[in-house]
Amino acid sequence: MVTYAQRHGLKPLGAGIGLRRSFYAELPRTGRTLDWVELIPENFLSLGGRSQRALDACAERWPVLPHGVGLNIGGPDALDDDYVRGLSALVKRVDAPFFSDHLCFSRLDGVYLHDLLPLPFSEAAVDHVVPRVREVMDRVGRPFLLENPSYYARMPGGTLREADFLRHVVEQADCGLLLDVNNVYVNARNHGYDARAFVDALPLERVVQIHLAGHTCYPDVIVDTHGDRVCDDVWSLYRYVLARTGPVATLIEWDQDIPSLDAVLDEADVARAALREVAGR
Amino acid sequence: MKPSLRDFFDSMGDYLAAPGPESLEALYARHPGWEAPRERVSLYGGFVLGHVRSALDKVFPLTRQALGQDAWDGLGVAFTRTRPARHHELNHLCEGFPAFLADAAASRGVAPFVPALARFEWTDFAVFASLAPVPERVERLTANPTLVVLEHDFHVCAYVRARGAATSPEAGAELALLWRHPEQLKTLYMAATPPALLVLKMAVEGLALADVVAATGMAEADLRATVTRFGRDGLVLLPENGGGR
Repeated sequence: MVTYAQRHGLKPLGAGIGLRRSFYAELPRTGRTLDWVELIPENFLSLGGRSQRALDACAERWPVLPHGVGLNIGGPDALDDDYVRGLSALVKRVDAPFFSDHLCFSRLDGVYLHDLLPLPFSEAAVDHVVPRVREVMDRVGRPFLLENPSYYARMPGGTLREADFLRHVVEQADCGLLLDVNNVYVNARNHGYDARAFVDALPLERVVQIHLAGHTCYPDVIVDTHGDRVCDDVWSLYRYVLARTGPVATLIEWDQDIPSLDAVLDEADVARAALREVAGR
Repeated sequence: MKPSLRDFFDSMGDYLAAPGPESLEALYARHPGWEAPRERVSLYGGFVLGHVRSALDKVFPLTRQALGQDAWDGLGVAFTRTRPARHHELNHLCEGFPAFLADAAASRGVAPFVPALARFEWTDFAVFASLAPVPERVERLTANPTLVVLEHDFHVCAYVRARGAATSPEAGAELALLWRHPEQLKTLYMAATPPALLVLKMAVEGLALADVVAATGMAEADLRATVTRFGRDGLVLLPENGGGR
């Protein structure tokens, strides 16, 4: 089967990390191996000074992939023209081969909620999201990936299985899938399903990027905090995914309690080793 | 959009506008049979409130310190109800907080200097993150494009420099200058002084060094040193000839 990446001429990029504020000075000068860098567009569309200097310095060394949190692809408001225009300019400025955001809503009645809120797994939500994804791809003019979000409660009105909901959206919109393996693990634990069976039900031929992250375990719920190392179970699930997809650009996400740059790059090294292992099979 | 989805968004909007036990029950009442655990759904209310609070905490550390924790908490809740997040970038929700504080000051017994302090702290961030293009080279003496001038009735600059060590800033009119250093990319600030205002006037009005010397009677070397000093601090951008024509 021809994959989404092959159709769009997208090559596996290796292992990357996020360009976070605490790394603005150090990351562009690192001598460690790094294959690509992910940035959160919201931090660069409206913030000048150090953000722009760090972005320019990184873009000179590595491919840069924008991964948004504010597109609001599933929300009821019309797409934010200023945001999409800025995002499009940023994607072209860094010459990103693709860009991504989350399958969620994040804005209501003009108010940004600054969170990734889950949609009901329903046909109505599929019908609502698909044309918006197409509109974004038309306006930005580059391949677009949707990420499977973590969620702590199934929203009311859901009629579809989560994997089917994801499949319907990405297939009907003809976009790629950013598979957050930690989110799969967290959701599986929080909602009591089998993570590997969930992966098997996904349109894996559309996976162009993978996210790995740490989470926080509470007595009654696991929260997707991006605040720790990737746990052994998530590494194991990652290798399970790679065995089915082959090498896929993989990001270490670390957004809270961010450790040293070296500690994050150590995690990226582990991902790179797994990518090489699967590429060598 | 199908009515069922519209109703879902409307109900979530009502809940997230003021998360709490009552609004959570109202949300469930609009979706009979919804079996999701309430403590899970309420996580989202906590997240949305938490984002506003964390942004306020980050941008206004001295305002928070000056108000005290209880007053700060109350104002944070009240501000959140105004639904301030109209911008996709999280920190920008803080932009309206100084004006909100000014409006709330009288009824909540907020000390008169606190709104000015909040405006200063927001401006500190806004200057730091300014998107105003700063040219790498200039043809003539140029005011730093990120410069913001604040006028208030307290000596806020000294209070901020002392990290709020005093109970309150001294009363007295102050013109505060805030700008981002073009190389260090950090916000610098000072209470305006006659030399600083003179150099800014030279930059804004394109006044030649010789003409200012003639008009003020200052020694040329002193004026040139003043221009150079403010150029080094980034308040003004110097041309390659140092700005002395």
